[in-house]
Amino acid sequence: MGKKTLYIKPQESMVKKMNTAHPMFAVVGHPNKGKSSIVSSLALDDSVQISDTPGTTTKKRSFPLKVDGKILYELFDTPGFQRARRVLSWLEQHDVPADKKHEVVQMFINEHKEDVRFSDEIELLEPIMNGAGIIYVVDGSKPYGEEYEAEMEILRWTGQPSMALINHIDETDYSIEWKRALGHYFKMVRTFNPMETTRLQHISILESMAQLKEEWIAPVKASIKLFEKYQEQMIERSSAAIARLLYESVSTVEQLSFSSKEASKEEKEKIARNYKDKLRELEVSTQKKIEQIWNHDHLKKEQKLLAFEGMDLFSEETASVFGLTKKELLITAATSGAVTGAGVDLLFAGHTLLLGAGVGAVVGGVGAYFGFNELSEVKVLGKILGKRYLEMGPMENRNFPYILLGRAIYHTTQIANRSHALRGVIDIDMDSTFKEKWLRDDLRKALEKYHKKFRSGKEMEAEELAEYEGLIKGVLERMIEK
Amino acid sequence: MNLKSYLDLYELLQTDTTTREENRAFGLTHVVVKNRPIEQLLAWVNEHRAKLKKPLLSETFSSYLYGVTLTLTLIAFVLGFLSGVGLLSYSGHEPVNVIYFMVMVVFFPLFTMTLTLISMIRANTAQSLLVHISPAFWMEKILYFLPHKMQENLKEVKINPLLTNWIVIMRSQIIALAFSFGLLLALLGMVATKDIAFAWSTTLSISPESFHRFLNTVAFSWREYYPSAVPSVELIEQSQYFRLGDKLSEEMITNASKLGEWWKFLAFATIFYAIILRFGIYLLSVFGLKRAIKKSFLTLNGVKRLLSEMNEPIISTHSSRDEKKFMPNNDSYIQVVSSLDTSYDVVQGWAIPKAQLVVISDSMQVISPKLFEVGGGNTLDEDSEIINKSHGEVLLYVKAWEPPTMDFVDFLEELIRRVDKVIVYPVGTSQEHYKTQSKEVEVWARKLSTLNHKKVWLKR
Repeated sequence: MGKKTLYIKPQESMVKKMNTAHPMFAVVGHPNKGKSSIVSSLALDDSVQISDTPGTTTKKRSFPLKVDGKILYELFDTPGFQRARRVLSWLEQHDVPADKKHEVVQMFINEHKEDVRFSDEIELLEPIMNGAGIIYVVDGSKPYGEEYEAEMEILRWTGQPSMALINHIDETDYSIEWKRALGHYFKMVRTFNPMETTRLQHISILESMAQLKEEWIAPVKASIKLFEKYQEQMIERSSAAIARLLYESVSTVEQLSFSSKEASKEEKEKIARNYKDKLRELEVSTQKKIEQIWNHDHLKKEQKLLAFEGMDLFSEETASVFGLTKKELLITAATSGAVTGAGVDLLFAGHTLLLGAGVGAVVGGVGAYFGFNELSEVKVLGKILGKRYLEMGPMENRNFPYILLGRAIYHTTQIANRSHALRGVIDIDMDSTFKEKWLRDDLRKALEKYHKKFRSGKEMEAEELAEYEGLIKGVLERMIEK
Repeated sequence: MNLKSYLDLYELLQTDTTTREENRAFGLTHVVVKNRPIEQLLAWVNEHRAKLKKPLLSETFSSYLYGVTLTLTLIAFVLGFLSGVGLLSYSGHEPVNVIYFMVMVVFFPLFTMTLTLISMIRANTAQSLLVHISPAFWMEKILYFLPHKMQENLKEVKINPLLTNWIVIMRSQIIALAFSFGLLLALLGMVATKDIAFAWSTTLSISPESFHRFLNTVAFSWREYYPSAVPSVELIEQSQYFRLGDKLSEEMITNASKLGEWWKFLAFATIFYAIILRFGIYLLSVFGLKRAIKKSFLTLNGVKRLLSEMNEPIISTHSSRDEKKFMPNNDSYIQVVSSLDTSYDVVQGWAIPKAQLVVISDSMQVISPKLFEVGGGNTLDEDSEIINKSHGEVLLYVKAWEPPTMDFVDFLEELIRRVDKVIVYPVGTSQEHYKTQSKEVEVWARKLSTLNHKKVWLKR
């Protein structure tokens, strides 16, 4: 077929390009090479549909990084090339100099907008022709093939700045041959595994994207700073949610009225069940809140619960993994008991010859030892007034706050460190060494002060809760990958 | 910033329905008060106050406080007046002992002011005993006598204990001031309407000179300006009274007109100790209350969140458009061959170079006179040419790991128009010895099922 020489009128895409102030990046490539995973990971959004079935993405989707509504940059997830050779064949029919090639691409879009055969190509080319930089994704775990060249050639026709990302879907590695081939078409080739993205890798990819065009450097750098701020915000909000969970769980009181003279065994069991259910509900709702904070709100609840099977809040196993050992409990209780005793000594200007501290330590320690398995006593109230009811709470078990806090911190770190590209069941692998990682002696002492106050059932001041939040924030900052 | 605005903020936060976006928009449109949290909160309260149900909790609470304080102030004034009258009552048999009155207007105020100062220092503690013994603390107990509805409204209010302490401290000073004014009025009234013989009496062996030195010290603040308001040694000597004998001494009777001079001293002592100093403490408590309100503003439950919503930028990375739910086609392809023949009319490899095709065929023990690479680097014309050369049964190798594209489907549709049978055979990589993963073959099977043509078969 002979080549056509055409007069090309100025294209509307040029106007669009001038009007678009923020950087845009279109993630394009062959079907099923992990484009959506990359977008999901870079946009911190787990709502993107990802599957090993090709053609999951049928329409381009924009993921803008917005600050107060202002877009700093925009990522586009696009469908994969379906008829690349046919598109290239159409383009190559037009004999134009290099500076007009992008106009031919625009012409292709204009002419085939209603053509269902090219709907995928139109979807992926449109953002590029509107000024988006190209991020071409390939799977480095599979061998390079010539069929990719048509796609890369089309992208070259667009004249837009581009880079290639080698994604590793499987363990085999063909990245050397890929790099050799991609080097012919792209000025920058990077390796990126969206499933194992750390914050540093995320930033590193953003920095590479900024290099595509000089005028994108400043806004992308601003975005990187913003991501740091974003993480800080998420840690703060998580700390607040965890602090409230601890306060509400430890101080909560469950009541159950009964009409007979004495409460039956069933009624006592019922209140204990209700009490535990309430605590579990509090934990589940806080976990959901934290998942939302970290943009992981598409994690399936039942899957998460399954992962917790056998690690129930009240199981012995939970206590041993997340809580304090009996020895630690004794030390903590003894220390906090001694603090109270020392207060007595101070009051009498030391005239009790430190007897107060000694007595406090013994009483506190023994109490903790015997309270190891106790949650809260079931109290019968209202006998005199005639309206009887059972009451359970606030939580008396000294270990409970540490178990709950350990679980909450563990869950948060798992969520925060999890890539948004992952779609499988969250693997909450209980690790008995985790406690050693987050709970230091000085922290345990600092926490006990607040746990004691929670246990008292008294109303907490916002200021005190903020101090407690601060302690949790410190732990999360330490535990969440930078 | 006052108690009213604090309570309005408290009530607004209790019923707050504003979204993060609205609060951020507020923060952005009120840049003047940025980085000034109190001003920001006050501006926010002003903006949203209209949302609160009438009567405002702040109005109910303020009117309750005002009413209770006014009542107690009046009672204190009357009590002060009556105490003054009682202390200054002169039966004619015994003179009025100035020491009683001094205790009431100098020592008692000094003692209570010291306690007040201590309670001010300890006002941060929620359970301050000194605050609790203050009469003003019991003001809230009057709550129980209020109409039921008002009681319910006020019971919901959980004011910061720091603030409660300062409210109690400040109101106590007002009550104490009223009491002192009552005492002063009683003194002036009694002096004006009665002839009071003042005297001083003590069991302790204190000489008039020593007592004069003591009184001179007590009167340190006014002795320079009003020397007549400091009793002289003579007056002290003349007014010393001994109970023994059950009658007034000769000297006292002789100098009866002079004994009344004590009133000036007592009036100045009342004005200075019970009124001016107390007023100073009151001013301190007003200042302390203001600071407590400021502090309580920032520690109110929900304020931290509100401020962070106003000042922290809203960062979002989400797509604004929901994705259409992808429903995969789970039909399995039924035209399946499980084993290959030893020869085919044509062997083709989709995006598989000819050299590799030879190796694959060899490994599969398949022979064919015609081996072609299709797709891949070929042009569409080249593919058409190969199709034209094809006939009979075609074995079409495809890369199992590469999902089928519409380019492949187009080719296949064209090919089946020309040949009798096409066996699509997904193969793995040479590293995997051409073995495939079942999920890869499933992808191909699903794609072929969309074509659903009797000439197309899948080798599993």
